[in-house]
Amino acid sequence: MEKLRPIFRFVGRVLLAFGLFERVAVLLLGQRIAAVAGLTLKAAFRFRLVLVLAVTLLGGVVILPLIIKDDGTARGFTQILLTYTLTMITALLGCATLWLGCGTLARDVEECQIQMLAVKPVARWQIWLGKWLGILCLNALLLALSSGAVFLLLQWRAQRLPPAQQTILRNEVLVARGSAKEPVPDYEADVEHLMKAQLKENPALAADLPALQKIIRERVKASQQIVPPGYRRQWQIDLGLAKNYLRNQPLYIRAKFNVAQPSPSGTYPGRWVVGGFESPWAHRPEPLSLAADTFHQFAVPPNLFDESGQLTISFINLSDTALLFSLEEGMEVLYREGGFGLNFFRGVAIIFCWLALLAAMGLASASFLSFPVAAFLSLGILVVGFSSGTLSQIVTEGGIMGVNHETGYTENPTLLDQVAVPVARKILNVVNLVRGFSPIDSLSTGRSITWGLLARAFAQICLLMSGLFAAAGISIFTRRELATAQGNQ
Amino acid sequence: MNAARKTEPVIIDVKPQSEIVVAVRGLTKIFKDFWGRPKAKAVDNVDFEVRRGEVFGLLGPNGSGKSTTVKMLLGLLYPTKGHIEVFGHSPRHVATKSRIGYLPEESYLYRYLDSEETLDFFGNLFALPAQERKQRTEQLLDMVGLTQARRRQVGEFSKGMQRRIGLAQALINDPSLVILDEPTSGLDPIGCREVKDLILALARRGKTVILSSHLLADVEDVCDRVVIYYGGKVQAMGTLKELLATPDAIRITTPILPRETLQKVLETIRRDVVEDKIRIDTPTQNLESYFLGVVAKAKQSEAETSGALSGSRVAAYLRGDAEGSQSPANRILERLTLPAAAASPSTPAMVARPEPAVDHRKLEELTQPNEAAAALTVATPPPEPADLEKANEKLSALLGKPK
Repeated sequence: MEKLRPIFRFVGRVLLAFGLFERVAVLLLGQRIAAVAGLTLKAAFRFRLVLVLAVTLLGGVVILPLIIKDDGTARGFTQILLTYTLTMITALLGCATLWLGCGTLARDVEECQIQMLAVKPVARWQIWLGKWLGILCLNALLLALSSGAVFLLLQWRAQRLPPAQQTILRNEVLVARGSAKEPVPDYEADVEHLMKAQLKENPALAADLPALQKIIRERVKASQQIVPPGYRRQWQIDLGLAKNYLRNQPLYIRAKFNVAQPSPSGTYPGRWVVGGFESPWAHRPEPLSLAADTFHQFAVPPNLFDESGQLTISFINLSDTALLFSLEEGMEVLYREGGFGLNFFRGVAIIFCWLALLAAMGLASASFLSFPVAAFLSLGILVVGFSSGTLSQIVTEGGIMGVNHETGYTENPTLLDQVAVPVARKILNVVNLVRGFSPIDSLSTGRSITWGLLARAFAQICLLMSGLFAAAGISIFTRRELATAQGNQ
Repeated sequence: MNAARKTEPVIIDVKPQSEIVVAVRGLTKIFKDFWGRPKAKAVDNVDFEVRRGEVFGLLGPNGSGKSTTVKMLLGLLYPTKGHIEVFGHSPRHVATKSRIGYLPEESYLYRYLDSEETLDFFGNLFALPAQERKQRTEQLLDMVGLTQARRRQVGEFSKGMQRRIGLAQALINDPSLVILDEPTSGLDPIGCREVKDLILALARRGKTVILSSHLLADVEDVCDRVVIYYGGKVQAMGTLKELLATPDAIRITTPILPRETLQKVLETIRRDVVEDKIRIDTPTQNLESYFLGVVAKAKQSEAETSGALSGSRVAAYLRGDAEGSQSPANRILERLTLPAAAASPSTPAMVARPEPAVDHRKLEELTQPNEAAAALTVATPPPEPADLEKANEKLSALLGKPK
């Protein structure tokens, strides 16, 4: 009996926590909304959805590390582990949320329980909101459980590594790092200048101005990205306000290049100079031979930037192939901004915002459709959301059909193309409001997810997009009849 | 001509007595198909009013439009034409719903909640404080006989038990208007009797009850006024007395009489009435009374059960006795308003009602030809509810108006 006492005490505390939770919910949401939210939560427990999901999620977190393949380093393994487990959690909870969102309302209407709610002094928007908040509570619980397990697993594995590996891990993955890049130069003026020159030389080119503009733009862009053999490329990176706390802190260079002609060895030698190229204090490591098309990351000593926070990085191409460092992701400087714990929390919070949107989407569909149709519609919307690549391709190519593979765009747009492009652009804008965040990628590369980014995700995903679904759903739900002449719907 | 008479509703006006709780004017509901084409006219130009304290019956065969009317009163369906007011507001007015209790035709409760959770949940929707929810839950579970099944999930309940918990949830808010759709469906005779007693008790406390049923006995037992539906239209409306009375006949019930006395009575009657208009038989109690009597006897050796028990007395807060401790005045009122069985539980309920002792003086008067008419009037027993109502009124005057 004595042995069981701690268990009883724990159960008592959990129950107390739930009691407190109920009181807080009543205070925050009002008694009626809290009651509906509590009912939704209770249904998930009683139908064993919580148990099944919890076991699946925890099982996944435990099993995935056993079956995934990695590059053999602790850093690589941790990155893959973070990516796989968090993706699995997002996918599983996303599906469950969508299903629950559709089911909790549609089934209440089909099985007529909604009639018992609608005849009580609770407004329809309160019923809708209560169900949404109930699903959010469930998500919060399961997300806390599964992501907590991931976090503990990572910490446990990190502690078992040799000290040197631990240091690498804590500096490069289990950390929140800020990043600085060279601003993308505005080359439109150059493009205009070159276009005028070309047209002066050959006025016939005016027949297809967009094609000419595109070709010149690519050429100008390439000239700023390519480092020919034996040439040097220099980046000036402004660390901004971060310079104030980066004294005596190591920095990390993250670089990636592409090649037009692969070498037999697959690697390309180059010399790196960090700090003023002529400066005696500059960091000059031994030449490195690096592979193309992949990110490389290496640490550089502290205090290499000047008083104004400018860090100079130079690269001399020692290979006999031209290397291309893209303007967007070719060169980046990473520095420590904070700890992993809070960063992980913020990343998970963005995943939670996505789940809130899925719940709102499911509920909005179920506000006027039966369960299977609502689920089908929600999945359809989700598929469109995941097709952002196709959408952006339509926008870039200027149409759906008749794309000229040489120029890469539609030469004679049809009526369908003319309609599809603005529609795709609008959808893409909306989708990007939600998909413009990559918490899992950021966490696995040890990048900082700032409070500002989380606030933006909350505003865009939870308030704006979920709010739009909620407004549509509540509006329809308030207007619809909730009964038929006889019995079940 | 006959056909025209058939479609014309027989409407008997009732003088306005108290505030109008429900007003329905020209109510029409046409169900449409997916393309918006009319599919069925479920309710056709219906008018009626329900006043405070009335037990109003919606009577009609299946599919006659009763449930559709009820659902429109509750704002679950919207009228195609016409106007509904409940407590002076639209049925969709949220605040008004705090004064309404509703028992649907089937159990639409959450199957995964137990009885106690069900009542607590609905109490929450009425924003009742925790302490009050707890008290009312206790009293209602006791009232509907589900105290021992409080921890069982509603999904495991028999249909009768589901009706009971459904009825309890309809009363959690101490409603001013109770709408009951087929309340006795699925209940055993004891349950039916209890529900009917409850309806009468509610009405006596000033509650308004709308009862939708196709069971004539239910409606006849409890309703003050009924509206009879057929094909979505009102075919007849009025008080039961007005609708059912046969004004050109009377009925005398006495204990067994000696043959000579009976002969004398018959001779007296034959002087005024032709032979084939007179009928003599032995009255029988109805099956419900008999059944209830048998069960009441059996209850004396009642075994423990996890199922529903016969309901106990009406919940204190519904009787206007929220504190649970009754004042002597309230106890008198309750004794008067509760059925005889509840007042003396040891006596088998409803079994063989005590026949009135033979009043020889009145019989003598009956046999006297000159005073026959007067004697008949005296001999007809006045209806029991009237007595109770008078008592109630007197007590109400003494104690203040009941809630």
